[in-house]
Amino acid sequence: MIRIEHLHKTYQVAHRKITALSDINLHIARGEIFGIIGRSGAGKSTLIRTLNLLEQPSEGQIFIADENITALDNAGLYKLRQRIGMIFQHFNLLSAKTVAQNIDWPLKITGNYTPEQRRQRVVELLELVGLGPHGEKYPSQLSGGQKQRVGIARALANYPQVLLCDEATSALDPETTQSILRLLLDINRKLNLTIVLITHEMQVIRSICDRVAVIEDAQIVESGKVIDVFLRPQHPITQKLVAQSHAFDQDSQIDVAARAGQLVRLTFVGDVTYQPILNQVIASTAALITILQGTISRIKDTPYGQLLIELSGSEEDLVSVFAHFDRYAIHHEVLA
Amino acid sequence: MIDFSLVDWGDIGHATLETLTMTGLSLLFTVLIGLPLGILLFLSARNQLLARRGVYIALSLFINVLRSVPFLILLIVMIPLTLLLVGTSLGVEGAIPPLVIGTAPFFARLVENVLREIDRGVIEACLAMGAKTHQIIFGALLPEALPGLLAAITITAITLMSYAAMSGVIGGGGLGDLAIRYGYQRFQTEVMIVTVAVLVVLVQLLQFFGDRLVLHFTHK
Repeated sequence: MIRIEHLHKTYQVAHRKITALSDINLHIARGEIFGIIGRSGAGKSTLIRTLNLLEQPSEGQIFIADENITALDNAGLYKLRQRIGMIFQHFNLLSAKTVAQNIDWPLKITGNYTPEQRRQRVVELLELVGLGPHGEKYPSQLSGGQKQRVGIARALANYPQVLLCDEATSALDPETTQSILRLLLDINRKLNLTIVLITHEMQVIRSICDRVAVIEDAQIVESGKVIDVFLRPQHPITQKLVAQSHAFDQDSQIDVAARAGQLVRLTFVGDVTYQPILNQVIASTAALITILQGTISRIKDTPYGQLLIELSGSEEDLVSVFAHFDRYAIHHEVLA
Repeated sequence: MIDFSLVDWGDIGHATLETLTMTGLSLLFTVLIGLPLGILLFLSARNQLLARRGVYIALSLFINVLRSVPFLILLIVMIPLTLLLVGTSLGVEGAIPPLVIGTAPFFARLVENVLREIDRGVIEACLAMGAKTHQIIFGALLPEALPGLLAAITITAITLMSYAAMSGVIGGGGLGDLAIRYGYQRFQTEVMIVTVAVLVVLVQLLQFFGDRLVLHFTHK
């Protein structure tokens, strides 16, 4: 759906060249929710803005549905932008227009619809985002979450192929964030809409994304399925971002030297998470298992767990324990 | 001894009407000229939709030059042009061209400032949905700016009213003319007091209705 090839972006600021994006290559599939995470200033905002050419790339190409958007003329650019929805951190609604007029506005500018068609579409969209009775209100009368729902309805008005979310939940409280994320996931499934979102919060990535790219210093340093990146982060920045949303990265708090046995980190993904595997291991060997730390949770729809355990027992027992882990495809990593 | 029975109320009523006519007509032309000028000024500035450095600098200089001429001097300097435009430099008609030239640049600056106050994110959202420049200006920027523009028009109307009174010095008509001829040259303090009182009331009314309009269109 979206292919980014060798994308570079540099700014000239008072005789100094600043690199905002350096050799970005990405492939985003149709119907996927793709997250781009990074700290502020890493370049993620510039990256998402090149996808509808609010930022002109300095070099490289971007293809959306096999069309090279970097080669478009002005008329083509207007048409392209009408096919790409975008929502913003601060909503950017028109304060002088009602909710219904805000949603109607992108329909109106295309000149493709009759007033009656537009009116029907607005009603449909208000229903879709759960704002049925609020059409005649002004944005100032709405809560932050409701404003973002208007933003989403507005972005979806022209049946876009792609929805870009620029820190769409960063100005919202945790509860509202979850409801907006659920709405995005719901829309993604109902309409098979491709969603690209940028955020600095791992929690957002974990809740709804299928794949993720980590951006740091204008470059993508790591990318892959969310579950892989989240459970086995490779790059130090990824590890830091994961640690912020993850209770399990505080090994340092455990006094390793004081423990007599072997410290092992177990990672399990999928249905196995909810099976009594530790129980079976304990029943079948004489090894002693102490759970030192642990998390059982979900990434999008996939259950996962991570445990830090201390193992002690004879050589033979330990071999048998690891054999059990292998049988259930539980990833294990001996730390000490 | 102050004696209000000396005041010719018919004259006062006539002069008030003249002042309102001068203010109203010159306000109309000021907005017609100043609004497009202000919009152009805003759009041509750096990082704006039609950023053109040369256009912005030229416009800005032109406006600054006009604004730096004191109004009383502008009144006199403009006499030949006024004669050319309306055939007389006296009375209500004669006052309107200098009033418009004196306030249009001021109003243009106010318009530029109002437009600058609009959140940049709004323009970005319009660009992102594929709106063309003229659609952004007329469909988003101007409606968003409406309360600010109405406030700017109120300020300009009040400025015009006081300038209109000043034009009485060179025979401009209206309350200023009355105040100078009777109140100043014939020492009729009563007339002076009445004209000032009428002006105070008019300014209060303008501000009151201006504020009401602004409030009516504010949805922030």
